[in-house]
Amino acid sequence: MRRRLLAMLLKEFRQLAADWPIVLIILWGFFGGVYLSGHAGAVDLNNYPVVVLDLSHSEESRELISRLRPPNFKIVAAVQGDREVVEYLDAARASLAVIIPPDFAHAVQERRGRFQVISDGTQAQMATLAAAYIAQIGGQYALQLHERRAGPAAGQLSQLPQVDARIRVSFNPAIQVAWFSSLFELFNMITMTSLLLTAAAFVREKEHGTLEQLQVSPLRPAELFAAKIIPSMLVVLVLSPLSLYGVVHGLHGTPLRGSVLLFYSVTLLFVFSIASLGLALAVIARNLPQAMMLMLLTLWPMMFLSGAMAPPESMTPWLKVLSLISPLRYYLDLGFQVLFKGNGLADVWHDVLGIAVLGSGLFAFSVRRFRRLY
Amino acid sequence: MLERVPAIARKEIRELRRDPIYLGLAFAIPLMMMLLFGFGLTLDVKHLPLAFEDHDGTPWSRDYRDRFLHSEYFDLAGVLDRHADVEAWLRTGRARVIIEIPPGFGRDLARGRPTSVGVTVDGSFPARAAVITGYVGAINGLYNQDALAAFAARRGLAGGALLPVQAEMSVWYNPTLESKNAVVPGILVLVLMLFPALLGALLIVREKESGSIFNLYASPTGRLEIILGKLLPQLAVAMIDYSILFGLSRWVFDVRFTGSLVVLTTGALLYSVCTIGIGLLISILARSQLAAMFATFLVTLTTAFNYSGFVTPVASMDAVGQFIAQLIPATHFMTLVRGSYLKGLGFAYYWPQLGALAVYTLVIYALAWGALRKRIG
Repeated sequence: MRRRLLAMLLKEFRQLAADWPIVLIILWGFFGGVYLSGHAGAVDLNNYPVVVLDLSHSEESRELISRLRPPNFKIVAAVQGDREVVEYLDAARASLAVIIPPDFAHAVQERRGRFQVISDGTQAQMATLAAAYIAQIGGQYALQLHERRAGPAAGQLSQLPQVDARIRVSFNPAIQVAWFSSLFELFNMITMTSLLLTAAAFVREKEHGTLEQLQVSPLRPAELFAAKIIPSMLVVLVLSPLSLYGVVHGLHGTPLRGSVLLFYSVTLLFVFSIASLGLALAVIARNLPQAMMLMLLTLWPMMFLSGAMAPPESMTPWLKVLSLISPLRYYLDLGFQVLFKGNGLADVWHDVLGIAVLGSGLFAFSVRRFRRLY
Repeated sequence: MLERVPAIARKEIRELRRDPIYLGLAFAIPLMMMLLFGFGLTLDVKHLPLAFEDHDGTPWSRDYRDRFLHSEYFDLAGVLDRHADVEAWLRTGRARVIIEIPPGFGRDLARGRPTSVGVTVDGSFPARAAVITGYVGAINGLYNQDALAAFAARRGLAGGALLPVQAEMSVWYNPTLESKNAVVPGILVLVLMLFPALLGALLIVREKESGSIFNLYASPTGRLEIILGKLLPQLAVAMIDYSILFGLSRWVFDVRFTGSLVVLTTGALLYSVCTIGIGLLISILARSQLAAMFATFLVTLTTAFNYSGFVTPVASMDAVGQFIAQLIPATHFMTLVRGSYLKGLGFAYYWPQLGALAVYTLVIYALAWGALRKRIG
């Protein structure tokens, strides 16, 4: 059996190596793509573009405006009239407008200072966040004004009933997005490589008619499938540590706190699961275009449901249930827990179980379906 | 010089019709994606598991805790007794945020003195951590405002007297801040990036693999005729997809559409031509179907997803991110689509986007034309 498998494997590697563009594309994905993804997602309000209309021209209004500063806000323009405010918002050159009425300074003296904030709701999540920040800025300014006014008449503020929320973010104190997004992109690359390479390697035999040849050869179905899966495993196994240490850890400085050995053991299992999914689709599909559509049908929801777009706890209940059949969901959870938080097998065994169950189910399905077909 | 375009197009249509599974999937998948994500995907971060470590146990601390639990943003994951559990709960994800209320919390507030709480946030998913930080700050701020007002009332001052400055918030374009109004048009942009590109990606390389490309090489058909003949049938598929998705967004998801359908359709047409072109270009350059497919998945799936502004506003990205965002057509179309749905603006506003798409399209097709060599080897 070993000789048959070896011969088949050798053929697979030759085919892969002969297609040098695919090698370049995979290399780009694992290194260039993973590096660039560190620049993609800003999740916090980062230089949120603000247009300011200051009709008050007072010290008070200027002080308020000065609080809209980076990293959260960036004033892109100070305009003179309502029309320009609308233009900036319409053209999406600004996402927030702050309008300070003419009598602001006077109103502040009378302790009823109000300013108007218009937020572009097309990006709902960011608008919500912006509202939270603006409320805080207004509140802090109000408190400081109060304190200043109380002046020498003793530290009045320290006498007020206020709760100071001292927020500490663990695991990623500065909320650096690149730590997350580069690792997520690496996981995506591992998924795509396992799925596409395996499925295409199988469908190609169908399209070229060589599957029948293999069928009449002494090669057994399980061996054939193993020969299709193992190359993907090797590609991932060689490239992902290089990307993990070189790009994710090296260039983006993501801390790797846990057992890389545990992570890679599970990665092998994960590649097996996704490759089995690829095989299952390849067995169903009659040609590569069909297989491509089926891969899209599975790959896209997997990425959406992985918990990286929206945390699993915020998902709609039925979507949360659906996400249970996505191997990427378990892998993502495990990857971040192990690499990022330094958790051990005791914390992630259920993820390992999920990947293993899905993978072996898919593998068994492919083999059975394949036997029935031919 | 273009008289052979219909012949090529007819051949492509025939091939599409002979593979009803493929054609069916090309219509069914966008439909399913839209239904799945339109109904299911919310980019709102809500119902986050929150735990308290309450060392105070007075009515004051209970009131403070209730402030968090009465919002839809947090769900109570539990109350911790020992500080040692904090780390374990965060590590295992039982709680994403833990608020520690120190002893004497209620006593201090009752005496009108300041106090503090310790908040620990799980930072492993930055999006979630940023939102939690914002929510905690905002809820705490509201609590403080009320505490001040109550304090002032007790001292016989007017209610708002201690708040000399207040923001009056209003939201335009999407006043209820519904996630669906952002998600559904966004899905339209992503689908019209992915699908046409994938439709185009195999067109030429498939003929290379099967060898039938030599028929084309040997025929008098010009390069432009080949490209146009291959483009048109796929464009029809893409535009049917567009109609399905637009219909769903209006009549199933009930997303407001305030703009001009002409602008949106012009944009969608240009955008689809452009994205099919990206697929075609890859198809011309690639030597195997696998390579073409992989490259297209990489370019469209992850790049469009990350940089189009679907999740993160382009303005919030760093310089490199913004540069990449400008380079991909999805970003420009996203501005046009969101604006058309929610902002109700006409042609005059979208010349920059339409122009960018047009330039992009021209460049792509020029490259494709140049790369398509009618020779063997």
